[in-house]
Amino acid sequence: MDRWDLRPARDLGLRPMERLRSLGREAGLVSLATGGLWRRGVRAWLRAAHGFRVEGRENLPASPPFVLVANHASHLDALALSAALRGAAARRAHALAAGDLFFANPAASILSAYAINALPVWRGRSRRDDLMTMRARLVEDGLVYILFPEGTRSRTGTMAPFQPGLGMLVAGTPVPVVPCWLEGARDAWPAEARAPRPGRPLSLRIGAPLHFEDAPDGRAGWQAVAAAAEAAVRGLAPEG
Amino acid sequence: MIPHPPGGAFAHPVTTGIVVATAAVLALAGLAILLLSRSGRAGPDLRRELWLRWGSWCALLPLMLGPVLLGREWTVGAVTVLSLLCYREYARATGLFRERLLSAMVVVGILAVNFAALDHWYGFFVALWPLTACLLAVATIPLDRPSGYIQRTALAILAFLLFGAGLAHLGYMANDPGYRPLVLLLLTAVALNDVAAFTCGKLIGGAKLLPATSPNKTVSGALGAVVVTTTLVASVGALIFRGTPLANPVWLIAMGALVSVAGQMGDLLLSSIKRDLGIKDMGTVLPGHGGVLDRFNSLLLVAPAIFHLVGYFVGFGLLAPTRVITGH
Repeated sequence: MDRWDLRPARDLGLRPMERLRSLGREAGLVSLATGGLWRRGVRAWLRAAHGFRVEGRENLPASPPFVLVANHASHLDALALSAALRGAAARRAHALAAGDLFFANPAASILSAYAINALPVWRGRSRRDDLMTMRARLVEDGLVYILFPEGTRSRTGTMAPFQPGLGMLVAGTPVPVVPCWLEGARDAWPAEARAPRPGRPLSLRIGAPLHFEDAPDGRAGWQAVAAAAEAAVRGLAPEG
Repeated sequence: MIPHPPGGAFAHPVTTGIVVATAAVLALAGLAILLLSRSGRAGPDLRRELWLRWGSWCALLPLMLGPVLLGREWTVGAVTVLSLLCYREYARATGLFRERLLSAMVVVGILAVNFAALDHWYGFFVALWPLTACLLAVATIPLDRPSGYIQRTALAILAFLLFGAGLAHLGYMANDPGYRPLVLLLLTAVALNDVAAFTCGKLIGGAKLLPATSPNKTVSGALGAVVVTTTLVASVGALIFRGTPLANPVWLIAMGALVSVAGQMGDLLLSSIKRDLGIKDMGTVLPGHGGVLDRFNSLLLVAPAIFHLVGYFVGFGLLAPTRVITGH
């Protein structure tokens, strides 16, 4: 008789805190339930406090895996992008978040892992292995990554050039990259404010997916992916 | 009914005896490790390992014995939590947790069977085993994804039977007003059974029991554990079941042997699962032990086996009120 296809959780054998910070973290029933409640709460807040509107939802691929990329000016950005997703894509969406901020201590790690479903990216010391793990999981586990390729929140509202890390995740794979533009996030929750400011409008425009199956998986290809995604995101920005 | 003197949690001398003996063993073990550390004969790794294990026991024993002393509802509640923790580890190790719907159904089954125990409704308690198995068998059909059906359904039914139906027997015992000494005896006897197997194996050595399944177990350890555990359970059982049809040397010895054999079988059952998966421990919750399942595997089969043996001769809660929640 053939062996069954038994695949233990990728995070099996990690201590609880290590597990929360692990790039191999896989959600169980508790994570799915808390994540689902959190998303519903965030959606209700964004609708009520910021009149959140989504344009171009039909551009989202029918099912994971895919990568959402957007301009980054606020902590609301990742929340807004994950609130725009539905069904399996919403459950499998991981925001790639700065480890030094979102996984700085156990309390932050619990919130980031169980509610936001974030995966840590370590600024300045994200290793190639980490990116390779994320690249493999994207396809194998059918995930959605929410990624801000500028690398940090813009303090001025001007979008910075995209980093090539995005290319390392998708170059040469069939995974589509969906460009998005978030308008109003900097006013609604600027980087220098401690909490969001209700009443400021927030909207999301989703563009047509980009494909990088033929992009070479090397430095030149990664740069090309980043440049193409950056151009597509800029193309969604409102005139003026 | 298990004979029980009137009074509170400590009314039965066996209850007091087991709690005092457990505390004494823990204190002595701590002292022994301390002496061993001072003597300098143990390396730092061994010392650390011993202290970790001892610390885990210090945290674990109050969590195990406390609910039994507190009362029926606490006991059923603690068994429910234990079942869910065991299932969580099993689901993550086998990959069953990725089947969201099926996994939720196993949790529902575990909660239902423990509710039946809490309700003291034996008819529902036994009906839930086939009913839940059927539910698990049909739950994923509407997904229209036949690929992997046999594997996921089998994994789910095995999980429910081991961690839901099996362990729930331990909670159900609390419906008998005289449950405390028996449940405490089972909890401590399976732990002693593990220790006896380990110690006898180390002292006597000899042929391996099932080297492919569990390379460290020996035939001498298994037999030694049967002798030690049977002696203990039969002698304490004689005090618990005095005046009942079970208080007969043949049946008491059979009960003791059953605890030891079923305990070791539970251990080997988990070893087989781990070997098949190619993993060493089921979790990391208990430092020095591994996961919850690595500690409680021996109870999985002991609980239903002893339940039915005692049920045959004595019965559980035959005079206690039934359907305390759903009745009118």
